Amino acid sequence: MNLEALPWLILFLPLLSATAITLFTMRCRTTSALLSIGAIVTGFVLTLSFIAANGFHPAVMETSANWLSIGNLNIDFGLRLDVLSLMMVLIVTGVGGAIHIYSFGYMSEDRGFSRFFACMSLFTFSMLGIVLANNFIQLFIFWELVGVSSYLLIGFWFEKPSAADAAKKAFITNRLGDFGFLLGIIILWWWTNGSLSFDIAQQQAQAVIKSPYGVTFGDNFWLTIIGLLIFCGAVGKSAQFPLHVWLPDAMEGPTPVSALIHAATMVAAGVYMLCRVILLFNVEASHVIAWVGGFTALLAALIAIQQNDIKRILAYSTLSQLGYMVMAVGLSGPTQAMFHLTTHAFFKALLFLGAGSVIIALHHEQNIWKMGGLRQKMPVTFWTFIIGTLALCGVPPFSGFYSKDSILAQALEQRNYPLFALGVVVAGLTTFYMFRLFYIAFLGERRTGVAPVSHSKEAAQAGDESLRQAGSLSYEPHESPPVMAWPLRTLAVFAVIGGVIGIRGIFDSQFISDTHAERASTFLQKLFEPFAHAPIVAIIGLLAVAAGFIAARMLYRNAESDPLPAKLGWFATAMKNRFYFDEIYEATFIRAHDFIAAVMDWIDRWLVDWAGIGLVRGGTDFTGRALRLMQTGNLQTYAFLFALGVAVVLYLVLGK
Amino acid sequence: MSILTYILGWPLIAAFVLVFVPRNYRVIIRAVALLATFVSMLLAVKMFCQFVAGQAGYQFEQQIPWVESLGISYHVGVDGLNVGLILMGAIVAFAAACCSFEIQSREKEFYILLLVMTGGILGAFASLDLFFFYFLHELALVPTFIMIGVWGRGERKNYATFQITLYLSVGALIALIGLIALYLQVPADLRTTGKIGFDIPKLTEFFRNNPMAGGAQNFIFPLLLFGFGILVSLWPFHTWAPLGYGSAPSPTAMLHAGVLKKFGLYGLIRIALPLMPQAAQHWMQILAWLCLGNILFVGWVAMRQRNLNLLIGNSSVAHMGFIFLGIASLNLIGVTGAVLIMIAHGFLAALTFGLSGYIYRQTGTLEMGELGGLARKLPFIGTALLMAALAGCGLPGFANFVGEVTVFFGAWKVFPVATGLALWGALMIGALYMLRAMRNVLHGPMPEKWSGISDAAHVWRKLPYGLLLASLLVFGCFPRLLTEKITPDLEKIVEMVRGETIAVGSTRVPRVQFGVPPNCVGARTIGFDQMKDGKLSQRTVSGTTPETTRETRGLPAVSVRALAGNTILN
Repeated sequence: MNLEALPWLILFLPLLSATAITLFTMRCRTTSALLSIGAIVTGFVLTLSFIAANGFHPAVMETSANWLSIGNLNIDFGLRLDVLSLMMVLIVTGVGGAIHIYSFGYMSEDRGFSRFFACMSLFTFSMLGIVLANNFIQLFIFWELVGVSSYLLIGFWFEKPSAADAAKKAFITNRLGDFGFLLGIIILWWWTNGSLSFDIAQQQAQAVIKSPYGVTFGDNFWLTIIGLLIFCGAVGKSAQFPLHVWLPDAMEGPTPVSALIHAATMVAAGVYMLCRVILLFNVEASHVIAWVGGFTALLAALIAIQQNDIKRILAYSTLSQLGYMVMAVGLSGPTQAMFHLTTHAFFKALLFLGAGSVIIALHHEQNIWKMGGLRQKMPVTFWTFIIGTLALCGVPPFSGFYSKDSILAQALEQRNYPLFALGVVVAGLTTFYMFRLFYIAFLGERRTGVAPVSHSKEAAQAGDESLRQAGSLSYEPHESPPVMAWPLRTLAVFAVIGGVIGIRGIFDSQFISDTHAERASTFLQKLFEPFAHAPIVAIIGLLAVAAGFIAARMLYRNAESDPLPAKLGWFATAMKNRFYFDEIYEATFIRAHDFIAAVMDWIDRWLVDWAGIGLVRGGTDFTGRALRLMQTGNLQTYAFLFALGVAVVLYLVLGK
Repeated sequence: MSILTYILGWPLIAAFVLVFVPRNYRVIIRAVALLATFVSMLLAVKMFCQFVAGQAGYQFEQQIPWVESLGISYHVGVDGLNVGLILMGAIVAFAAACCSFEIQSREKEFYILLLVMTGGILGAFASLDLFFFYFLHELALVPTFIMIGVWGRGERKNYATFQITLYLSVGALIALIGLIALYLQVPADLRTTGKIGFDIPKLTEFFRNNPMAGGAQNFIFPLLLFGFGILVSLWPFHTWAPLGYGSAPSPTAMLHAGVLKKFGLYGLIRIALPLMPQAAQHWMQILAWLCLGNILFVGWVAMRQRNLNLLIGNSSVAHMGFIFLGIASLNLIGVTGAVLIMIAHGFLAALTFGLSGYIYRQTGTLEMGELGGLARKLPFIGTALLMAALAGCGLPGFANFVGEVTVFFGAWKVFPVATGLALWGALMIGALYMLRAMRNVLHGPMPEKWSGISDAAHVWRKLPYGLLLASLLVFGCFPRLLTEKITPDLEKIVEMVRGETIAVGSTRVPRVQFGVPPNCVGARTIGFDQMKDGKLSQRTVSGTTPETTRETRGLPAVSVRALAGNTILN
């Protein structure tokens, strides 16, 4: 059985649903939701059946049709089916399906219900397009479409100025990365003389890198440039330093959007893309990638420590985890990156949905200092959230432990000790900020209606009155309905077992060509694999987690306000203000463009326009005045001009 | 009778008929105009579908001699270059007629002018006779001035009319001088009908075999470049456009920005490039930098605009830069990209001006500071405007993306720095001003005073916008519909400019494989015509700029370079 049509169906079903909702069922809320949910769940089932029929290595790995062909510019529209893409399709449709179902409950009160599901379906289509693309231009097309669906969903509550601004910011920051990405693609096309396909481009790059005569300076130069420019795309989409600023703001969107797009799938697209074209990167480019990833991981973890908005903490945590993945790619460990991407998709989606459940229960309250005492009121949310937290922190046997450990082990294997140390520190910080969140938001007493951190910017943002219903300050938290609770439970299961069900082995079969026997085959072996493979790494990692946990427990167990600013002083302020990156960009990039725009506008208005109009009008005017002198009515002048004319004619006739 | 004659004839006949319709029969006047443009559009679609890609010569040709002693004849026909433009023009004309419901005074005159404009511009694109090519363009151009002057809006209406008339008349005049000079290059005894005269195909054929003298080329080419350039708002001759479009009634802006403006570009590709290749090679170096004026400079100016229409007008000028960049690259990919953007921008400009006209009619202002949050009250118009804005900043799925990305691919080999900067303009500056505008117009809280406005209610109101959006999407998702028709004919033009055959064709080039032996590297080939004539023209030699050699010998070159350990930085 081949079922070759299935992937096409999987890809286009969400587009069909988005179109149908936009054109026909905008007024009918439930139909819209069912169309959208149906499309993605069907996609999941079809993917499973495709894998069941063909395995992870289908015989026909690429199908494509020509999309555009001019001269030697040949762009295909095709699907690439291998382990990497099929697993990613499973994640997108699986986790995405859970989030779609959850949204049915979460968004039920919203008047833009149908629009929401149309955008979600558009997003699913674009994301699947990225995953299944077999060439750079197709990837770029869906890359941009993902950006625009993210724009639409962040700005879903577009009447709220902060949401509208955040949407704009996300799109423009992404565009900055895409600028490099497209330039990289164009240079790659030129350098490889017309190949845009992943396969062929990577073959050519490898042939150059592994050339028996050694790499020439020129080739290496261009390879580095191409690698870094393509990496730019990932920096934008996966929100790596220095383009990380858009992701926390993107939390202005509805929480399911944050879970699906800004945690589980879209932001992971950058990592996926890097793994997809990993053979393009030479040593220099890989080095930069690893350090950018590592630095982002550290930076975001530090910022997360001093945030008070539950979604922003999770957003910075996402940044930090994405940093891990990018670092893994740079350390030539795509398996580890994809492994972490997968487990992260489970537990971060879980955490966001849990946060959403809390936010809904508290009537759109997002400040953790106004939460507390949720354990009894919301048991499902509480227990699933703690599972997500443990998985994110990397506590065995939860899934995050295995994937994070594999990245640390890779760092050590590559003998990159600074990055290894950095990874360990970030692991400790992760535990610290997650348990800070957990202690404040879920445990302790209910802090009804008091705002102990009134100076914080987040408190002001969370207090946006347009969204809150009257009397929300005296809330009575309640557990979410089953349509929201069941996706939580499902994701929780995978957050627990994700590390030991052989996901890593599946990815290994993509990237490691020599088919050595899988290291751990039985369940028990898999369970203790990290300790058997690299015990030092596992132990150091666990020590960091323990340190983070103890610190968080000491500081926040019964805290009424944050004790950290007093202890750290200006550093805490800097962390709270996200190290002023937004301000710096505002002052440089945006101001520079505005300044240039002002100058250009002035020139346009007063010089170009004036010159264009002035010269033509003035010239005509001047000529008119000059010619007027010829017709003064003065007989002497006429006589003089007549004589002059005769003289000229005589000269012309006789002078030659 | 050729179908082309009907396409351009129906609007003109309708205009003539309207003269005799009493001015208070408003419904009839409107119905006649709609019907004529609709029929014309249907015929254009039919013509587009029947067009056979890659067929030699012109299709749907018709020739009627007119002034035999001067060699003027009515001669229409299409090839790949103008088939898409005529289709686009006819669709935009129908959409503009639909949007003309906003005109409430002197409707009869307005519709007559609109129809004359439509017939004129479609005729100019279809015309294969230099005289009619120019004459029909002027026929379309003059109504623009009247329409802005009479039905325009805003307090700077009179200045705008004055400015646009001045600029475009001067531009058209310069181009006219160039065209006459070109005509005079033909030996006197051949300037009659049946010989060469004003016939564009015959002129092309003649100058292919008898290249124009270098001096004449260097004199005529800049005249055409800047004459046509002014018509297309080439920087720094662009300031008429934003203000003119901002003050024009929206159907006029739709037709002018969408269709009429492409005339200059069409003229450049159809006449200036193939007839004066040597001068073209020289001037394109300069054009590549001038186009950055459009893309970057005008892009920045657009960022400063506070009025939606001025912003759209500036953005329209900025888009012309990509077309110029594509033309300047003088290779098949770049020029095809330029033609693609010409078509895509026609739909897009019409769409945005139509939508802004709708909003203006509802609110009475387009100052972005006063607008805001309109998406809630105007779901359809708002969505369409957002889609148009995204198409304008080059979002895939819309036809503009295909054109822009193709231009970048084509131009990169020739002007890497300019391409990089243009890319910045396309992806960053375009996104900055477009999204800011959407933020200010559609998003954010809505001022109380707009609570009374209403969305496009019924099908007739939605139709023009839907039609234009659909066109953008269809050609954006299936660009081969256009490129298959465009490339074979553009290839001939590009060949003439470069004076040598290019080793790439419309057929798919097999993918480069590794281990191609070095002797496969294609040697520079000489144009078939020159071989046949047994002489090497000056053009062929001058065509051997470093870029062209790289291009021609380049096909399997990277693999070869790589295997030989050669540097690519040569």
